[in-house]
Amino acid sequence: MQSIVSENLTRIFNGFTAVNDLSFKVNEGDIFGMLGPNGAGKTTTIRILAAILSPTSGEVYVGGYNTSLEPVKVREIVGVLTENPSLYDRLTPIENLDFFARAYGVDDPSKRSAKIKDLLEYFDLWERRSDRVYTFSKGMKQKLAIARALVHDPEIVFLDEPTSGLDPRSSKDIRELMEKLSHKENQTILLSTHRLEDAQRLCNQVMIIDKGQLLTISSPEALRLQSTGAPTVRIQLTMLSNNLIDAAKKAKQVTSVHVEGNELVVVIEDYSATPALVKNIVEAGGMVLSVHQVESTLEDAYLKLVEER
Amino acid sequence: MRIRKALIVFDKDWRDIRRNWEVMAPIIIVPVLISLVIPLIVTLIPGSLNSNLQGSSFLENILNGLPPQLKAELAGLNETQIIKYVMLLYFFAPFFLIIPIMASSVIASDSFAGEKERKTIEALLATPLTDSELLLGKILVSFVPAMIVTAVSFLVYSLVIDLLTFNEYGWLLLPTLSWLLLIFGMAPAIALLGIGVSVIISAKVKGFREAQQISALLVLPVLVLLFGQATGSLILGPIVVSGLTMVLLLLDLIVFRVSVHLFRREEIIITSK
Repeated sequence: MQSIVSENLTRIFNGFTAVNDLSFKVNEGDIFGMLGPNGAGKTTTIRILAAILSPTSGEVYVGGYNTSLEPVKVREIVGVLTENPSLYDRLTPIENLDFFARAYGVDDPSKRSAKIKDLLEYFDLWERRSDRVYTFSKGMKQKLAIARALVHDPEIVFLDEPTSGLDPRSSKDIRELMEKLSHKENQTILLSTHRLEDAQRLCNQVMIIDKGQLLTISSPEALRLQSTGAPTVRIQLTMLSNNLIDAAKKAKQVTSVHVEGNELVVVIEDYSATPALVKNIVEAGGMVLSVHQVESTLEDAYLKLVEER
Repeated sequence: MRIRKALIVFDKDWRDIRRNWEVMAPIIIVPVLISLVIPLIVTLIPGSLNSNLQGSSFLENILNGLPPQLKAELAGLNETQIIKYVMLLYFFAPFFLIIPIMASSVIASDSFAGEKERKTIEALLATPLTDSELLLGKILVSFVPAMIVTAVSFLVYSLVIDLLTFNEYGWLLLPTLSWLLLIFGMAPAIALLGIGVSVIISAKVKGFREAQQISALLVLPVLVLLFGQATGSLILGPIVVSGLTMVLLLLDLIVFRVSVHLFRREEIIITSK
Protein backbone atom coordinates (compact mmCIF):
# COMPACT_ATOMS: atom_id res chain seq x y z
CA MET A 1 0.00 0.00 0.00
CA GLN A 2 1.19 3.49 -0.79
CA SER A 3 1.33 6.18 1.90
CA ILE A 4 2.25 9.04 -0.40
CA VAL A 5 1.34 9.54 -4.03
CA SER A 6 2.39 12.65 -5.90
CA GLU A 7 1.09 13.07 -9.43
CA ASN A 8 2.58 15.81 -11.60
CA LEU A 9 2.98 18.09 -8.61
CA THR A 10 3.82 21.66 -9.57
CA ARG A 11 4.09 24.75 -7.39
CA ILE A 12 4.71 28.21 -8.77
CA PHE A 13 5.40 31.30 -6.59
CA ASN A 14 4.94 34.57 -8.47
CA GLY A 15 6.25 33.13 -11.71
CA PHE A 16 9.01 31.08 -10.07
CA THR A 17 8.56 27.33 -10.41
CA ALA A 18 9.69 25.80 -7.10
CA VAL A 19 8.41 22.29 -7.86
CA ASN A 20 7.98 21.15 -11.44
CA ASP A 21 5.85 18.18 -12.47
CA LEU A 22 7.06 15.96 -9.65
CA SER A 23 5.64 12.42 -9.55
CA PHE A 24 6.60 9.78 -7.03
CA LYS A 25 5.15 7.16 -4.70
CA VAL A 26 6.18 6.09 -1.22
CA ASN A 27 5.24 2.68 0.17
CA GLU A 28 3.82 2.30 3.66
CA GLY A 29 6.54 1.68 6.26
CA ASP A 30 9.35 2.81 3.93
CA ILE A 31 12.02 5.37 4.65
CA PHE A 32 12.04 7.51 1.53
CA GLY A 33 14.93 9.90 1.03
CA MET A 34 14.57 13.20 -0.75
CA LEU A 35 17.93 14.59 -1.84
CA GLY A 36 18.86 17.70 -3.71
CA PRO A 37 20.97 20.84 -3.47
CA ASN A 38 19.79 23.94 -1.61
CA GLY A 39 16.83 25.49 -3.42
CA ALA A 40 15.95 22.21 -5.13
CA GLY A 41 12.35 22.38 -3.89
CA LYS A 42 12.58 19.89 -1.02
CA THR A 43 11.05 22.13 1.65
CA THR A 44 8.26 23.27 -0.67
CA THR A 45 7.51 19.63 -1.49
CA ILE A 46 7.31 18.75 2.22
CA ARG A 47 5.05 21.74 2.87
CA ILE A 48 2.69 20.60 0.12
CA LEU A 49 2.73 16.99 1.36
CA ALA A 50 1.98 18.27 4.89
CA ALA A 51 -0.97 20.30 3.53
CA ILE A 52 0.54 23.61 4.61
CA LEU A 53 0.82 24.78 1.00
CA SER A 54 -1.40 23.76 -1.87
CA PRO A 55 -0.08 22.69 -5.26
CA THR A 56 -0.50 25.00 -8.25
CA SER A 57 -1.32 21.89 -10.28
CA GLY A 58 -1.15 18.15 -9.88
CA GLU A 59 -2.54 15.96 -7.14
CA VAL A 60 -1.07 14.71 -3.90
CA TYR A 61 -2.47 11.93 -1.72
CA VAL A 62 -1.11 11.39 1.77
CA GLY A 63 -2.47 8.45 3.74
CA GLY A 64 -5.15 8.17 1.06
CA TYR A 65 -6.35 11.77 1.54
CA ASN A 66 -6.11 14.41 -1.15
CA THR A 67 -4.05 17.24 0.39
CA SER A 68 -6.07 19.93 -1.40
CA LEU A 69 -9.51 18.52 -0.62
CA GLU A 70 -8.95 17.15 2.91
CA PRO A 71 -6.02 19.12 4.34
CA VAL A 72 -7.13 18.76 7.97
CA LYS A 73 -7.30 14.95 7.66
CA VAL A 74 -3.79 14.97 6.17
CA ARG A 75 -2.42 17.16 8.95
CA GLU A 76 -3.97 14.86 11.56
CA ILE A 77 -2.00 11.83 10.37
CA VAL A 78 1.35 13.40 9.63
CA GLY A 79 4.12 14.62 11.89
CA VAL A 80 6.46 17.29 10.60
CA LEU A 81 9.96 18.25 11.58
CA THR A 82 10.27 21.63 9.96
CA GLU A 83 13.40 23.29 8.60
CA ASN A 84 13.65 25.31 11.86
CA PRO A 85 12.94 23.66 15.23
CA SER A 86 9.82 25.89 15.52
CA LEU A 87 9.69 25.63 19.31
CA TYR A 88 8.28 28.08 21.83
CA ASP A 89 11.41 29.22 23.67
CA ARG A 90 9.61 30.62 26.71
CA LEU A 91 7.72 27.37 27.32
CA THR A 92 9.17 24.22 28.86
CA PRO A 93 9.61 21.03 26.81
CA ILE A 94 6.54 19.57 28.52
CA GLU A 95 4.45 22.65 27.72
CA ASN A 96 5.63 22.60 24.10
CA LEU A 97 4.82 18.92 23.62
CA ASP A 98 1.55 19.18 25.54
CA PHE A 99 0.35 22.02 23.31
CA PHE A 100 1.16 20.15 20.11
CA ALA A 101 -0.33 16.88 21.41
CA ARG A 102 -3.59 18.70 22.19
CA ALA A 103 -3.52 20.49 18.83
CA TYR A 104 -3.12 17.10 17.12
CA GLY A 105 -6.12 15.74 19.00
CA VAL A 106 -4.50 13.67 21.78
CA ASP A 107 -7.30 14.56 24.19
CA ASP A 108 -6.67 12.02 26.96
CA PRO A 109 -4.39 13.80 29.50
CA SER A 110 -2.91 10.57 30.90
CA LYS A 111 -2.11 9.25 27.43
CA ARG A 112 -0.59 12.62 26.58
CA SER A 113 1.58 12.70 29.71
CA ALA A 114 2.79 9.13 29.19
CA LYS A 115 3.75 9.80 25.58
CA ILE A 116 5.54 13.05 26.48
CA LYS A 117 7.48 11.30 29.26
CA ASP A 118 8.47 8.47 26.88
CA LEU A 119 9.72 10.89 24.25
CA LEU A 120 11.62 13.13 26.66
CA GLU A 121 13.26 10.10 28.25
CA TYR A 122 14.15 8.68 24.84
CA PHE A 123 15.82 11.93 23.83
CA ASP A 124 17.56 12.39 27.23
CA LEU A 125 15.58 15.55 27.94
CA TRP A 126 13.52 14.36 30.92
CA GLU A 127 15.94 15.88 33.44
CA ARG A 128 15.45 19.26 31.74
CA ARG A 129 11.66 18.97 31.51
CA SER A 130 10.99 22.04 33.68
CA ASP A 131 13.54 24.33 32.02
CA ARG A 132 12.55 26.88 29.43
CA VAL A 133 13.52 25.87 25.91
CA TYR A 134 15.63 29.01 25.38
CA THR A 135 18.20 27.47 27.77
CA PHE A 136 18.62 24.45 25.44
CA SER A 137 21.51 23.83 23.05
CA LYS A 138 20.86 23.58 19.31
CA GLY A 139 21.06 19.81 19.46
CA MET A 140 18.60 19.60 22.36
CA LYS A 141 16.16 21.82 20.48
CA GLN A 142 16.48 19.60 17.42
CA LYS A 143 15.72 16.50 19.51
CA LEU A 144 12.73 18.22 21.09
CA ALA A 145 11.47 19.24 17.65
CA ILE A 146 11.69 15.60 16.53
CA ALA A 147 9.79 14.59 19.68
CA ARG A 148 7.13 17.14 18.74
CA ALA A 149 6.77 15.57 15.29
CA LEU A 150 6.13 12.20 16.94
CA VAL A 151 3.99 13.22 19.92
CA HIS A 152 0.70 12.12 18.30
CA ASP A 153 2.01 8.83 16.85
CA PRO A 154 1.60 9.92 13.24
CA GLU A 155 1.23 7.39 10.43
CA ILE A 156 3.58 9.39 8.24
CA VAL A 157 6.52 11.52 9.34
CA PHE A 158 8.24 14.23 7.32
CA LEU A 159 11.72 14.95 8.59
CA ASP A 160 13.57 17.94 7.16
CA GLU A 161 17.27 17.57 8.05
CA PRO A 162 16.68 15.63 11.31
CA THR A 163 20.36 15.19 12.19
CA SER A 164 21.28 18.82 11.54
CA GLY A 165 23.10 20.27 14.55
CA LEU A 166 23.34 16.96 16.36
CA ASP A 167 26.50 15.40 17.76
CA PRO A 168 27.52 11.94 16.40
CA ARG A 169 25.91 10.09 19.33
CA SER A 170 22.60 11.93 18.95
CA SER A 171 22.67 11.47 15.16
CA LYS A 172 23.08 7.76 15.70
CA ASP A 173 20.13 7.75 18.12
CA ILE A 174 17.97 9.51 15.51
CA ARG A 175 18.97 7.04 12.80
CA GLU A 176 18.10 4.14 15.12
CA LEU A 177 14.81 5.81 15.94
CA MET A 178 13.95 6.14 12.25
CA GLU A 179 14.75 2.47 11.69
CA LYS A 180 12.60 1.50 14.67
CA LEU A 181 9.68 3.65 13.51
CA SER A 182 9.87 2.20 10.04
CA HIS A 183 10.51 -1.45 10.85
CA LYS A 184 8.62 -1.95 14.11
CA GLU A 185 5.87 0.70 14.03
CA ASN A 186 5.40 0.58 10.24
CA GLN A 187 5.46 4.37 10.10
CA THR A 188 6.32 5.89 6.76
CA ILE A 189 9.18 8.37 6.86
CA LEU A 190 10.04 10.94 4.24
CA LEU A 191 13.54 12.11 4.97
CA SER A 192 14.98 15.23 3.42
CA THR A 193 18.70 15.37 4.08
CA HIS A 194 22.08 16.53 2.87
CA ARG A 195 23.73 13.69 4.78
CA LEU A 196 23.99 11.16 2.01
CA GLU A 197 25.49 8.51 4.27
CA ASP A 198 22.25 8.65 6.30
CA ALA A 199 20.19 8.21 3.14
CA GLN A 200 22.41 5.35 1.94
CA ARG A 201 22.14 3.57 5.28
CA LEU A 202 18.45 4.14 6.01
CA CYS A 203 16.37 4.63 2.89
CA ASN A 204 14.53 2.01 0.86
CA GLN A 205 14.23 4.51 -1.98
CA VAL A 206 15.84 7.84 -2.67
CA MET A 207 14.62 10.59 -4.94
CA ILE A 208 17.03 13.23 -6.23
CA ILE A 209 15.52 16.53 -7.31
CA ASP A 210 17.09 19.71 -8.59
CA LYS A 211 15.46 23.02 -9.54
CA GLY A 212 12.12 21.46 -8.65
CA GLN A 213 12.49 18.63 -11.14
CA LEU A 214 12.89 14.92 -10.62
CA LEU A 215 16.32 13.60 -11.60
CA THR A 216 15.93 10.02 -10.48
CA ILE A 217 14.18 7.66 -8.07
CA SER A 218 15.91 4.45 -7.14
CA SER A 219 17.18 2.36 -4.25
CA PRO A 220 20.45 3.78 -2.86
CA GLU A 221 22.28 0.60 -3.88
CA ALA A 222 21.03 0.65 -7.47
CA LEU A 223 21.90 4.32 -7.72
CA ARG A 224 25.37 3.71 -6.35
CA LEU A 225 26.04 0.84 -8.77
CA GLN A 226 24.64 2.90 -11.62
CA SER A 227 27.32 5.51 -11.08
CA THR A 228 30.14 3.06 -10.54
CA GLY A 229 32.71 3.21 -13.37
CA ALA A 230 35.35 0.63 -14.33
CA PRO A 231 36.58 -1.71 -11.53
CA THR A 232 39.41 -0.02 -9.65
CA VAL A 233 41.82 -1.34 -7.00
CA ARG A 234 43.95 0.71 -4.60
CA ILE A 235 47.14 -0.99 -3.45
CA GLN A 236 49.02 0.60 -0.56
CA LEU A 237 52.75 -0.15 -0.44
CA THR A 238 55.52 0.60 2.04
CA MET A 239 57.57 2.07 -0.79
CA LEU A 240 56.98 2.75 -4.47
CA SER A 241 59.41 2.35 -7.36
CA ASN A 242 59.23 2.37 -11.16
CA ASN A 243 59.90 -1.34 -11.03
CA LEU A 244 56.67 -1.93 -9.08
CA ILE A 245 54.64 0.34 -11.37
CA ASP A 246 55.88 -1.60 -14.38
CA ALA A 247 55.00 -4.88 -12.62
CA ALA A 248 51.46 -3.65 -12.11
CA LYS A 249 51.15 -2.51 -15.72
CA LYS A 250 52.30 -5.92 -16.96
CA ALA A 251 49.63 -7.81 -15.00
CA LYS A 252 46.74 -9.33 -16.96
CA GLN A 253 43.54 -7.30 -17.55
CA VAL A 254 45.11 -4.06 -16.29
CA THR A 255 43.82 -1.04 -18.19
CA SER A 256 45.74 1.77 -16.49
CA VAL A 257 47.93 2.51 -13.46
CA HIS A 258 48.54 5.77 -11.66
CA VAL A 259 50.20 6.75 -8.41
CA GLU A 260 48.69 8.59 -5.43
CA GLY A 261 51.24 8.97 -2.63
CA ASN A 262 52.30 5.47 -1.61
CA GLU A 263 49.33 3.94 -3.40
CA LEU A 264 48.89 2.44 -6.82
CA VAL A 265 45.45 3.06 -8.31
CA VAL A 266 44.89 0.35 -10.87
CA VAL A 267 41.95 0.15 -13.26
CA ILE A 268 41.26 -3.44 -14.28
CA GLU A 269 38.79 -5.18 -16.54
CA ASP A 270 37.39 -7.36 -13.75
CA TYR A 271 37.94 -7.69 -10.01
CA SER A 272 38.87 -11.37 -10.55
CA ALA A 273 42.20 -10.11 -11.89
CA THR A 274 43.14 -8.64 -8.48
CA PRO A 275 45.07 -11.68 -7.05
CA ALA A 276 47.26 -11.94 -10.16
CA LEU A 277 47.94 -8.20 -10.02
CA VAL A 278 49.00 -8.35 -6.36
CA LYS A 279 51.14 -11.44 -7.04
CA ASN A 280 53.03 -9.56 -9.81
CA ILE A 281 53.76 -6.66 -7.46
CA VAL A 282 54.90 -8.89 -4.59
CA GLU A 283 57.17 -10.90 -6.93
CA ALA A 284 58.74 -7.62 -8.07
CA GLY A 285 59.67 -6.92 -4.43
CA GLY A 286 56.67 -4.83 -3.40
CA MET A 287 55.71 -4.80 0.30
CA VAL A 288 51.89 -4.62 0.24
CA LEU A 289 50.17 -3.00 3.22
CA SER A 290 46.56 -3.15 1.97
CA VAL A 291 44.42 -3.84 -1.09
CA HIS A 292 40.89 -2.64 -1.51
CA GLN A 293 38.31 -2.19 -4.23
CA VAL A 294 37.23 1.36 -4.95
CA GLU A 295 33.45 1.51 -4.72
CA SER A 296 31.38 4.52 -5.58
CA THR A 297 29.06 5.85 -2.89
CA LEU A 298 25.61 7.40 -3.03
CA GLU A 299 27.42 10.70 -2.76
CA ASP A 300 29.31 9.96 -6.00
CA ALA A 301 26.05 9.06 -7.71
CA TYR A 302 24.35 12.19 -6.35
CA LEU A 303 27.17 14.52 -7.41
CA LYS A 304 27.35 12.93 -10.83
CA LEU A 305 23.60 13.38 -11.38
CA VAL A 306 23.43 16.94 -10.09
CA GLU A 307 26.60 18.07 -11.87
CA GLU A 308 25.54 16.48 -15.14
CA ARG A 309 22.51 18.79 -15.24
CA MET B 1 -14.86 25.56 13.86
CA ARG B 2 -14.20 23.98 17.25
CA ILE B 3 -14.04 26.54 20.11
CA ARG B 4 -12.18 23.99 22.25
CA LYS B 5 -9.39 23.93 19.69
CA ALA B 6 -9.20 27.73 19.62
CA LEU B 7 -8.83 27.67 23.41
CA ILE B 8 -5.77 25.40 23.07
CA VAL B 9 -4.12 28.19 21.05
CA PHE B 10 -5.30 30.75 23.61
CA ASP B 11 -3.79 28.72 26.45
CA LYS B 12 -0.44 28.29 24.69
CA ASP B 13 -0.20 31.93 23.61
CA TRP B 14 -1.10 33.23 27.06
CA ARG B 15 1.59 31.07 28.73
CA ASP B 16 4.08 32.39 26.19
CA ILE B 17 3.04 36.04 26.35
CA ARG B 18 2.87 36.36 30.12
CA ARG B 19 6.54 35.35 30.28
CA ASN B 20 7.50 38.01 27.75
CA TRP B 21 8.37 41.24 29.57
CA GLU B 22 8.52 43.19 26.34
CA VAL B 23 4.79 42.59 26.11
CA MET B 24 3.83 42.57 29.77
CA ALA B 25 5.68 45.75 30.81
CA PRO B 26 3.52 48.23 28.86
CA ILE B 27 0.36 46.28 29.72
CA ILE B 28 1.10 46.69 33.43
CA ILE B 29 2.81 50.09 33.56
CA VAL B 30 0.43 52.13 31.39
CA PRO B 31 -2.76 51.08 33.26
CA VAL B 32 -1.09 51.69 36.64
CA LEU B 33 -0.14 55.20 35.53
CA ILE B 34 -3.59 55.96 34.16
CA SER B 35 -5.74 54.35 36.83
CA LEU B 36 -3.68 55.01 39.95
CA VAL B 37 -0.91 57.58 39.62
CA ILE B 38 -2.78 60.26 37.66
CA PRO B 39 -5.96 60.29 39.83
CA LEU B 40 -3.85 60.34 42.98
CA ILE B 41 -1.99 63.39 41.70
CA VAL B 42 -5.21 65.15 40.69
CA THR B 43 -7.06 64.44 43.91
CA LEU B 44 -4.21 64.83 46.38
CA ILE B 45 -2.52 67.87 44.81
CA PRO B 46 -5.46 70.06 43.90
CA GLY B 47 -3.56 73.31 44.43
CA SER B 48 -1.50 72.91 41.29
CA LEU B 49 -4.61 72.21 39.23
CA ASN B 50 -6.27 75.30 40.65
CA SER B 51 -3.49 77.65 39.71
CA ASN B 52 -3.16 76.18 36.22
CA LEU B 53 -6.77 75.78 35.28
CA GLN B 54 -8.83 78.34 37.14
CA GLY B 55 -10.29 80.72 34.62
CA SER B 56 -8.52 78.99 31.72
CA SER B 57 -10.11 78.64 28.29
CA PHE B 58 -9.59 74.87 28.53
CA LEU B 59 -11.91 74.65 31.52
CA GLU B 60 -14.34 77.09 29.98
CA ASN B 61 -14.52 75.06 26.78
CA ILE B 62 -15.30 71.86 28.63
CA LEU B 63 -17.88 73.51 30.83
CA ASN B 64 -19.62 75.09 27.85
CA GLY B 65 -19.73 71.72 26.11
CA LEU B 66 -21.40 69.89 28.99
CA PRO B 67 -25.01 68.83 28.57
CA PRO B 68 -27.50 71.15 30.35
CA GLN B 69 -28.44 68.41 32.79
CA LEU B 70 -24.82 68.07 33.88
CA LYS B 71 -24.34 71.80 34.09
CA ALA B 72 -27.23 71.86 36.53
CA GLU B 73 -25.58 69.12 38.51
CA LEU B 74 -22.41 71.15 38.84
CA ALA B 75 -24.29 74.27 39.79
CA GLY B 76 -23.79 73.92 43.52
CA LEU B 77 -20.08 73.13 43.34
CA ASN B 78 -17.21 75.53 43.86
CA GLU B 79 -14.60 76.05 41.15
CA THR B 80 -12.06 73.59 42.59
CA GLN B 81 -14.69 70.87 42.75
CA ILE B 82 -15.76 71.58 39.17
CA ILE B 83 -12.16 71.36 37.94
CA LYS B 84 -11.63 68.03 39.67
CA TYR B 85 -14.98 66.73 38.46
CA VAL B 86 -14.32 67.65 34.86
CA MET B 87 -10.75 66.39 34.91
CA LEU B 88 -11.55 63.07 36.54
CA LEU B 89 -14.77 62.27 34.73
CA TYR B 90 -14.23 63.81 31.29
CA PHE B 91 -10.68 64.79 30.51
CA PHE B 92 -9.21 61.44 31.59
CA ALA B 93 -11.90 59.30 29.95
CA PRO B 94 -10.06 58.93 26.58
CA PHE B 95 -7.02 57.63 28.45
CA PHE B 96 -9.11 54.58 29.26
CA LEU B 97 -9.37 53.88 25.54
CA ILE B 98 -5.59 53.90 25.25
CA ILE B 99 -5.41 50.91 27.63
CA PRO B 100 -7.44 48.43 25.52
CA ILE B 101 -5.99 49.58 22.20
CA MET B 102 -2.43 49.47 23.53
CA ALA B 103 -2.81 46.11 25.31
CA SER B 104 -4.65 44.38 22.47
CA SER B 105 -2.32 45.58 19.73
CA VAL B 106 0.84 44.78 21.72
CA ILE B 107 -0.37 41.23 22.42
CA ALA B 108 -1.72 40.74 18.89
CA SER B 109 1.56 41.95 17.35
CA ASP B 110 3.47 39.42 19.45
CA SER B 111 0.98 36.65 18.80
CA PHE B 112 0.83 37.10 15.02
CA ALA B 113 4.04 38.84 13.84
CA GLY B 114 6.02 37.45 16.80
CA GLU B 115 5.37 33.85 15.71
CA LYS B 116 6.65 34.67 12.24
CA GLU B 117 9.71 36.45 13.62
CA ARG B 118 10.60 33.59 15.98
CA LYS B 119 9.94 31.05 13.21
CA THR B 120 7.48 29.09 15.33
CA ILE B 121 4.66 29.60 12.86
CA GLU B 122 5.41 26.67 10.56
CA ALA B 123 4.98 23.96 13.19
CA LEU B 124 1.76 25.67 14.27
CA LEU B 125 0.47 25.70 10.69
CA ALA B 126 1.37 22.01 10.33
CA THR B 127 -1.17 21.08 13.04
CA PRO B 128 -4.74 20.09 12.14
CA LEU B 129 -6.05 23.34 13.65
CA THR B 130 -8.00 25.20 10.99
CA ASP B 131 -7.22 28.77 9.98
CA SER B 132 -10.35 30.01 11.76
CA GLU B 133 -9.48 28.12 14.98
CA LEU B 134 -5.98 29.61 14.95
CA LEU B 135 -7.33 33.10 14.24
CA LEU B 136 -10.00 32.90 16.96
CA GLY B 137 -7.49 31.61 19.54
CA LYS B 138 -5.15 34.47 18.77
CA ILE B 139 -7.92 37.07 18.78
CA LEU B 140 -9.10 35.80 22.17
CA VAL B 141 -5.62 35.92 23.68
CA SER B 142 -5.30 39.52 22.54
CA PHE B 143 -8.83 40.56 23.52
CA VAL B 144 -9.42 38.89 26.90
CA PRO B 145 -6.31 40.16 28.74
CA ALA B 146 -6.78 43.63 27.19
CA MET B 147 -10.34 43.81 28.48
CA ILE B 148 -9.44 42.41 31.91
CA VAL B 149 -6.73 45.06 32.25
CA THR B 150 -9.17 47.76 31.12
CA ALA B 151 -11.92 46.64 33.51
CA VAL B 152 -9.52 46.30 36.45
CA SER B 153 -8.04 49.73 35.67
CA PHE B 154 -11.53 51.21 35.65
CA LEU B 155 -12.33 49.50 38.95
CA VAL B 156 -9.13 50.83 40.55
CA TYR B 157 -9.73 54.30 39.12
CA SER B 158 -13.32 54.32 40.41
CA LEU B 159 -12.29 53.11 43.88
CA VAL B 160 -9.48 55.65 44.19
CA ILE B 161 -11.65 58.53 43.05
CA ASP B 162 -14.67 57.56 45.13
CA LEU B 163 -12.57 57.00 48.25
CA LEU B 164 -10.78 60.32 47.89
CA THR B 165 -13.71 62.48 46.80
CA PHE B 166 -16.78 61.10 48.58
CA ASN B 167 -16.39 63.39 51.60
CA GLU B 168 -15.91 66.40 49.38
CA TYR B 169 -18.81 65.82 46.98
CA GLY B 170 -21.19 63.77 49.13
CA TRP B 171 -21.88 61.29 46.34
CA LEU B 172 -19.92 58.66 44.36
CA LEU B 173 -18.49 60.23 41.21
CA LEU B 174 -18.04 56.88 39.49
CA PRO B 175 -19.42 54.85 37.86
CA THR B 176 -21.55 56.95 35.54
CA LEU B 177 -23.54 55.78 32.54
CA SER B 178 -21.00 57.37 30.16
CA TRP B 179 -18.12 55.55 31.82
CA LEU B 180 -19.94 52.22 31.84
CA LEU B 181 -20.67 52.62 28.13
CA LEU B 182 -17.08 53.67 27.55
CA ILE B 183 -15.53 50.72 29.41
CA PHE B 184 -17.94 47.97 28.41
CA GLY B 185 -18.98 49.20 24.95
CA MET B 186 -16.42 51.46 23.36
CA ALA B 187 -13.32 49.86 24.91
CA PRO B 188 -14.09 46.33 23.60
CA ALA B 189 -14.90 47.79 20.18
CA ILE B 190 -11.62 49.69 20.06
CA ALA B 191 -9.69 46.64 21.38
CA LEU B 192 -11.10 44.58 18.52
CA LEU B 193 -10.06 47.28 16.09
CA GLY B 194 -6.53 47.16 17.51
CA ILE B 195 -6.44 43.37 17.05
CA GLY B 196 -7.86 43.47 13.52
CA VAL B 197 -5.39 46.13 12.42
CA SER B 198 -2.53 44.20 14.06
CA VAL B 199 -3.51 41.04 12.15
CA ILE B 200 -3.43 42.99 8.88
CA ILE B 201 -0.10 44.63 9.70
CA SER B 202 1.40 41.34 10.92
CA ALA B 203 0.53 39.73 7.59
CA LYS B 204 2.66 42.30 5.83
CA VAL B 205 5.64 42.71 8.16
CA LYS B 206 8.23 40.25 9.40
CA GLY B 207 8.77 41.30 13.00
CA PHE B 208 6.95 41.95 16.26
CA ARG B 209 8.47 45.40 16.80
CA GLU B 210 7.62 46.56 13.29
CA ALA B 211 4.01 45.46 13.78
CA GLN B 212 3.87 47.09 17.20
CA GLN B 213 5.25 50.39 15.94
CA ILE B 214 2.70 50.62 13.14
CA SER B 215 -0.13 49.52 15.45
CA ALA B 216 0.85 52.34 17.84
CA LEU B 217 -0.58 54.76 15.27
CA LEU B 218 -4.02 53.57 16.41
CA VAL B 219 -3.59 55.78 19.47
CA LEU B 220 -3.89 58.85 17.20
CA PRO B 221 -7.71 58.76 16.93
CA VAL B 222 -7.84 58.53 20.73
CA LEU B 223 -5.73 61.67 20.93
CA VAL B 224 -8.28 63.35 18.68
CA LEU B 225 -10.92 62.48 21.28
CA LEU B 226 -8.69 63.93 23.97
CA PHE B 227 -8.35 67.11 21.95
CA GLY B 228 -12.12 67.14 21.40
CA GLN B 229 -12.65 66.95 25.13
CA ALA B 230 -10.13 69.70 25.78
CA THR B 231 -11.74 72.06 23.31
CA GLY B 232 -15.26 71.12 24.39
CA SER B 233 -16.13 70.17 20.82
CA LEU B 234 -16.68 66.48 21.61
CA ILE B 235 -17.74 65.66 25.15
CA LEU B 236 -17.93 61.95 25.90
CA GLY B 237 -21.50 61.80 27.15
CA PRO B 238 -23.68 58.67 26.81
CA ILE B 239 -24.97 59.56 23.34
CA VAL B 240 -21.55 60.41 21.92
CA VAL B 241 -20.00 57.26 23.44
CA SER B 242 -22.81 55.09 22.03
CA GLY B 243 -22.46 56.70 18.62
CA LEU B 244 -18.69 56.25 18.55
CA THR B 245 -19.11 52.63 19.67
CA MET B 246 -21.40 51.98 16.70
CA VAL B 247 -18.87 53.55 14.33
CA LEU B 248 -16.08 51.43 15.85
CA LEU B 249 -18.14 48.24 15.53
CA LEU B 250 -18.69 49.03 11.87
CA LEU B 251 -14.94 49.54 11.43
CA ASP B 252 -14.35 46.26 13.30
CA LEU B 253 -16.52 44.45 10.77
CA ILE B 254 -14.56 45.86 7.85
CA VAL B 255 -11.17 45.25 9.44
CA PHE B 256 -12.03 41.67 10.42
CA ARG B 257 -13.24 40.82 6.94
CA VAL B 258 -9.81 41.85 5.66
CA SER B 259 -8.08 40.00 8.54
CA VAL B 260 -9.89 36.73 7.84
CA HIS B 261 -8.94 37.06 4.19
CA LEU B 262 -5.27 37.62 5.06
CA PHE B 263 -5.00 35.01 7.82
CA ARG B 264 -4.58 31.99 5.58
CA ARG B 265 -1.87 29.36 5.92
CA GLU B 266 -0.71 29.85 2.40
CA GLU B 267 -0.25 33.62 2.80
CA ILE B 268 1.40 33.31 6.20
CA ILE B 269 3.93 30.68 5.19
CA ILE B 270 4.89 32.55 2.03
CA THR B 271 5.31 35.91 3.80
CA SER B 272 7.24 34.35 6.71
CA LYS B 273 10.15 33.27 4.49
